[in-house]
Amino acid sequence: MDSREKNIFFHSIDQSESWQAFENSLPAGWKLSPLCSHREERLFYDTFEWQAFSQGMAVMQKKGRLHIFDLSTGNDLSAMSYQRTPSALFASNLAECKTKALLSSCSDIRAFIRLSAFDVVVQTHRLLNDNDKTVGILSSQKWRIAGKGHNRSALQVIALKPLRGYEREIEGFEKSLSGHDALKKAMEFRELFLLLMGSSGLNVEGYSSKIRLQLDRDASIHESARKLLRVTLAVMRQNENGIIKNIDTEFLHDYRVAIRRTRSILKQLKGVFDPAETAHFLNEFSSLAKRTNALRDTDVYLLNRTLYPAWLPPLLQPDLKPLFSDIEATRKKLHKQCCRHLNSADHRAFFDKWERWITHTGVPDKVDAPNAATPTVTFAASAIKRSWKKVVRNGRQISREATDSELHSLRIDCKKLRYLLEFFSSIFPRKTIGPAIGHLKELQENLGSFVDYAVQLEFLERRLVSMPATAGVVAGAAATGGLIAILHGKKEKARRKFHETFRVFDNDESAALFHELSTP
Amino acid sequence: MKTIALYSIKGGVGKTAAAVNLSYLSSLSSSPTLICDLDPQGASSFYFRITASRKYNSDKFLKGSKKIYSNIKATDFEGLDLLPSDFSYRNLDIELAEAKKPQKRLKKNIEELSDEYRTLFFDCPPNLTLLSESVFAASDMILVPMIPTTLSIRTYTQLTEFFDANGLDSSKIRAFFTMVEKRKKMHRDIIDEYRDSPAFLSQTIPYNSEVEKMGIYRAPLNAVLPAAPASKAYRALWEELQSILNEA
Repeated sequence: MDSREKNIFFHSIDQSESWQAFENSLPAGWKLSPLCSHREERLFYDTFEWQAFSQGMAVMQKKGRLHIFDLSTGNDLSAMSYQRTPSALFASNLAECKTKALLSSCSDIRAFIRLSAFDVVVQTHRLLNDNDKTVGILSSQKWRIAGKGHNRSALQVIALKPLRGYEREIEGFEKSLSGHDALKKAMEFRELFLLLMGSSGLNVEGYSSKIRLQLDRDASIHESARKLLRVTLAVMRQNENGIIKNIDTEFLHDYRVAIRRTRSILKQLKGVFDPAETAHFLNEFSSLAKRTNALRDTDVYLLNRTLYPAWLPPLLQPDLKPLFSDIEATRKKLHKQCCRHLNSADHRAFFDKWERWITHTGVPDKVDAPNAATPTVTFAASAIKRSWKKVVRNGRQISREATDSELHSLRIDCKKLRYLLEFFSSIFPRKTIGPAIGHLKELQENLGSFVDYAVQLEFLERRLVSMPATAGVVAGAAATGGLIAILHGKKEKARRKFHETFRVFDNDESAALFHELSTP
Repeated sequence: MKTIALYSIKGGVGKTAAAVNLSYLSSLSSSPTLICDLDPQGASSFYFRITASRKYNSDKFLKGSKKIYSNIKATDFEGLDLLPSDFSYRNLDIELAEAKKPQKRLKKNIEELSDEYRTLFFDCPPNLTLLSESVFAASDMILVPMIPTTLSIRTYTQLTEFFDANGLDSSKIRAFFTMVEKRKKMHRDIIDEYRDSPAFLSQTIPYNSEVEKMGIYRAPLNAVLPAAPASKAYRALWEELQSILNEA
C-alpha cells in the first residue's frame, strides 16, 4: 500500500546525543512532544536464498505479530498475530491473510529462517508543527543483538517517519537533521536492514544456487572448469547444514543439483582433466548422489501432499493418509542415514581431498588432457555446438509413439546442454544466451514432467502390487488406483505434447541462436 | 470497505461530533479508517487540526482516485486518515450538475480507496442536494443524528419520503438520538415513540457539555476523555453499528 511516506533513518555516531539538540533544529513554533519509550525484541526472518529481501521486503516478528515491511519505505505492508518465534516457519502453515500471500509470493516451499534477534530500545517523540498538529514521528532506536554475551550496542539510529500528507512540510527539518554533526547521512530502511544483518555477521544475498560466476573468456578451460568446480563445492557445503537440520527440501535439492553439475563438468568437458585422476572423484560423487536419491523422492511425494488428494473425488481422499504416513516414516529413516553419512569422517575427508584437488591441481599433461589449455570461449562454443546438435539429432529421431526410453534419454541430453549454457553464460552476450536457455527450458519442462509422472507411477504401481490382499486395504488400494489413473493420464498428455514442443524448440530461431553461440 | 455517511438535512444536530468520534472508534477496532469531510465549513478537518493543501479544491475532489489519494492526510491517531474539505466545496453541487451521471460520481471516485481503508465516513453538509444524492448512492449506511424534537422528526420524514419518491433504498437509513436531555419530557416521549422502530438505533447520545469543548481539545472526545458520558455512549453506539454492518 505504501509508495507514499517514506521513513528516513540516520545512523547516529554520538550515543549521548540529546533530544534538545534535535529540538534546536526545528522550524520556529515547532516542538517535540514525548510519546512513549519502550523496549522490544525484534526478530528477522528470510529464506536461505533471501527471497523476501530480493522482493523488497523484510519479515519481522515483534510483540506477538509477524510484520512485513517494505524495504524502501520502511512501512508495514501487512501484519498478523503471531506469538511464536520458531527457528523456521513456512508460508503454507500460516492462516489465510495478506502476510501469508506476501510470504507465499516469495516462496511456498522454502522455510523462512530466523536470522537474528535484536533487543531494541525505542524512544518516540511526536513532531508538532506550529498548529500543534503532529506531522511526523521522530524516534531513537538502540539496536542490540539479543542474547547473552551481546552487550555491545549494534547500532543506534534516529528514525523520522513523516505522517501522510506532511512529507513536504517536514522536508526542511529532514535536511537540517542530515547536516547534524552527530548523524551520518540519511538512509532508507533497506540500508538499515543491511547494516543490522551485517552486525550479526550475515551476508545478505550471500547464497544463490545459480551460477553467478564471471569467467574469463580467454583463460584456459582448465582454469575456468576449476573455478566452476569450486562454486559447486561451495554450494554443496552451504547446503549440508540445512539438510542435516531438516529445514526445508530445497537444501537437498540444491545439493543434488550441485553434485550433478560437478559430475557434468568432469564428464562433459572432455579432454580438460586427466581421466585417470577424475575417475575416482566421479565414482565418489555418483555414490553421494545415489545416497540422496530415495530421500529426494520422498520429499517430492510429501510436497505433493495437498495436490494428490485434490485430484481424487472426496470419497477416496481420506484413504491417501496411509500413503503419506508411510512415506513420512520412510523419509525419517532415510534422512537419518543421509545425515550419518554427511557427518561421517569419510565424507568430510572426501570433500577435503576434493577441495585440495580442485585448488591445487596443475595443468595436466597434453597427452592425458589435450584440451586443457584451450581458451574457455573456444572450448565452450564447440561443446555447446556439439551438445545442441545432439539434442536436435536425437529429438528428430524420436518415433511418432515417443516411447518412454526415447523421452528419458532426450531429457538427459537436454539437461547436459542446459548445464553447459549455465556454466558459460557469463562469457556470451545475454541477448543470445538468455533466449537460448528460454527455448530449451520449455522443452525441458515437457520432458521433465513426463519423467516425473513416470517415476511417480512406477512408485505407486510398486506400492499397489505389494499391498496385502486383505479387506482393510481396499480403500487404500482404490485411492492408489485412482492416483495411478490420473498420473497415467497426465503422463500420456505430456507424451502427446512432446512433438509439438520439440517443433517449437527445433526451429530457425533456435538454430540461429545456437549458431551464434557456437561461432564466437 | 464499509461506507457510513453522517447525514442530516438539518444543521447543528451533532453530525461532525458523531463522525469524528465514530471514525476514531472505528480506527481503534477495525482500522484503517478514512473520514471524508464534505462540509465546506470544514469542521471535522478543524477538529483534527488539518487544513487542505493550497492546491486542493472541489474540482480535484470530483476528479477522484489519484487526486483524492494525494490529498489525504494522517490525523494524530494511528489508522485514522482524513480527506480535508476546502471552502470551494460550497460549489460542489453546481459542479456535480455538470458532470456525467452525477448521482454515481462519488461511488466511482471512492472505489480505489477500498484497497486501503476498511471503513469510510462521510461528514456531510446539512442540505438535500445533488451531492447528498451522490452520497446516498455511495454509502452502505446513511446515519442520521437527531435531536428528539418535532422539527428533527419532520426532517427525518422528509428524508425517507425523498428516498421512496426517488426509488432509493430507504433501508440504508438509520437514525439515532443525540443531545438527549432526560429531564425534558418531550425528549423522553419522542424517544419512547421511536423505541421499537427498526430504523432507529437503541443507543442514544446524552447532551454533554464536553462534546462542545471538542473545539478546544481539537481531538475526538473519545481520545481525550474516554470516560465522559458522551464518550461511553459513542462507544456503545459504535458497537451497535458494527453489529449491523457485520450482518449486512
